[in-house]
Amino acid sequence: MRVWLGLLVALVVAILVGACAGHDWATPADLLRAIAGEPDLRSRLLVEWRIPRVLAAALVGALLGLGGTVFQGVFRNPLAEPYLLGSAGGAALGATIALLVPLAAPQSLALPVLAFAGAWGSTVLVIGISRVSGAVDAAGMLLAGVAVAAILGALRSFLMLALSDETVSLQIVLSWVLGGIQTPTWPILGLLAAITAVCLAICLLLAGRLDVLGLGEAMATAFGLDVTRFIAFAVLAGSVVVAAAVAFGGLVAFVGLASPHIARWLIGPLHKPLMPASALVGAIVVTLADALSRSALPPAEIPLGLVTAVAGGPFFIALLARRLRA
Amino acid sequence: MTDLIASDLVVKRGAATLLDTLSLSLASPGAVALIGPNGAGKSTLLRILAGIEAPDAGTVRVGDRNLGSLPNAVRAATIGYLPQHFDPHWDLTVADLVRLGAERGAQRRSDSIEATRETFELVSLWPRRWSTLSGGERARALLAMVLVVDPPILLADEPAAALDIRHRLDVIRTLGQRGGERLSVVVVHDLDLAFRFFDRVVVIDRGRIVADAPAQELIADPLLDRVFAVRFERLRTADGWLLRPTTGDPSLRSG
Repeated sequence: MRVWLGLLVALVVAILVGACAGHDWATPADLLRAIAGEPDLRSRLLVEWRIPRVLAAALVGALLGLGGTVFQGVFRNPLAEPYLLGSAGGAALGATIALLVPLAAPQSLALPVLAFAGAWGSTVLVIGISRVSGAVDAAGMLLAGVAVAAILGALRSFLMLALSDETVSLQIVLSWVLGGIQTPTWPILGLLAAITAVCLAICLLLAGRLDVLGLGEAMATAFGLDVTRFIAFAVLAGSVVVAAAVAFGGLVAFVGLASPHIARWLIGPLHKPLMPASALVGAIVVTLADALSRSALPPAEIPLGLVTAVAGGPFFIALLARRLRA
Repeated sequence: MTDLIASDLVVKRGAATLLDTLSLSLASPGAVALIGPNGAGKSTLLRILAGIEAPDAGTVRVGDRNLGSLPNAVRAATIGYLPQHFDPHWDLTVADLVRLGAERGAQRRSDSIEATRETFELVSLWPRRWSTLSGGERARALLAMVLVVDPPILLADEPAAALDIRHRLDVIRTLGQRGGERLSVVVVHDLDLAFRFFDRVVVIDRGRIVADAPAQELIADPLLDRVFAVRFERLRTADGWLLRPTTGDPSLRSG
């Protein structure tokens, strides 16, 4: 109970810090005035730009925490992360198309939709390939994931070389790939919140069976779990979660890897409490990282993925060291 | 209803034939030990009887139904399976493990969890995590999580092989005694324990059943020496016969 309270308080504090942070730091009093509907420019900027962005960061973080928990649960590998099965490469390809190819739809719509389609489509492709090649187990999917990621990465590089005649668009693509929360309008933020709630519900639905899968495939089968079908289903569901995160936040490194681990240290390995805990940890981490990325080098914005990678790299190394010692 | 009947099972892995048109009838209740040298196909047979793997050919019937046609939840509640190695990926507590065992199948019965906790003397271990348990404690926890739903059929794959002698005795005795009212099929490494605690002993070699007889009949059979490639000395004791391996002799297998 104290852990949950602690996580909630930490999230509220992180959101407050995030809302105050920026090139132009606000005070909590400024925030209150803005929320109360003061008509001055600063208040309107806070309400229309910064607060939605901060909340979007929290929701993207929650999605990454959920996605990471599902993938680590399915692959029973502490180094598993949400972009494992080609979804990063697929999302980047989708975003590259949206940013470089002239499309009928406006870019603000095409970008998240194509990023989502790329992220989810590549995972579907990975499952399809592993199914066709008769290797539907975790190892087969991982290998197919590596292959698909390589192919998609090459396609994206080709598109970038072929379609950009000016360096500016390359920079746009690069900065999207490095991750960054898109500032949503309030209705879009509502949509993102609804998506996150649905994703949490789906993940909670998977929780009990992820526990059973953790007993090992033979034992899980003996306990009545159709392991092959469940893995495919869980991966598809998990990649929807990840694709939603990618559509709103680009590629944010390490959060999906680290959040489940931190949550497991706090509340143990059972997946039912782990899902919301990991979502909270992810939300806290991304909110703070986004605050840092907006305020560290004003007026420039450091890509969010760089912030999380710099903070997450040492975490990853510590994790690896712990595992090798064990 | 819960007899287990395997007919003409064939399992191939590449060029190797692991099970070679093997048929076996297991009537409930009964305590059946499966013995045989390493690689004979005992574990493969057990996994197929448990529905964890499908055979390349042949059928398994559970009572009057085909094993493959049983819904997963029904199979899980009907057949308990103790694997040779059990190493859960997540460091769960004994309480969580037994609860996961109890939640398989359709029914969820908290009273059976309580009873299991007493029967397997898990009260003090209940909040402990798997990684902190000793080998004997792990064996008890594993038995508890498999038996908590009281499955009519229990298939156990050398669950005691890594335990010290007292815990091995405890586990094998528990499994053998269960054959008094249920069907208990156990792959047993220790031949003396197999002959002592089981009514019926089935000898498997190279994917086939080479002997299937009441324990006390089989123990005198020179076939054992050939199958295990060891010359056994048979010692008479107050408890029955004991097998004492003398020397390994590969030439015995050609006979």
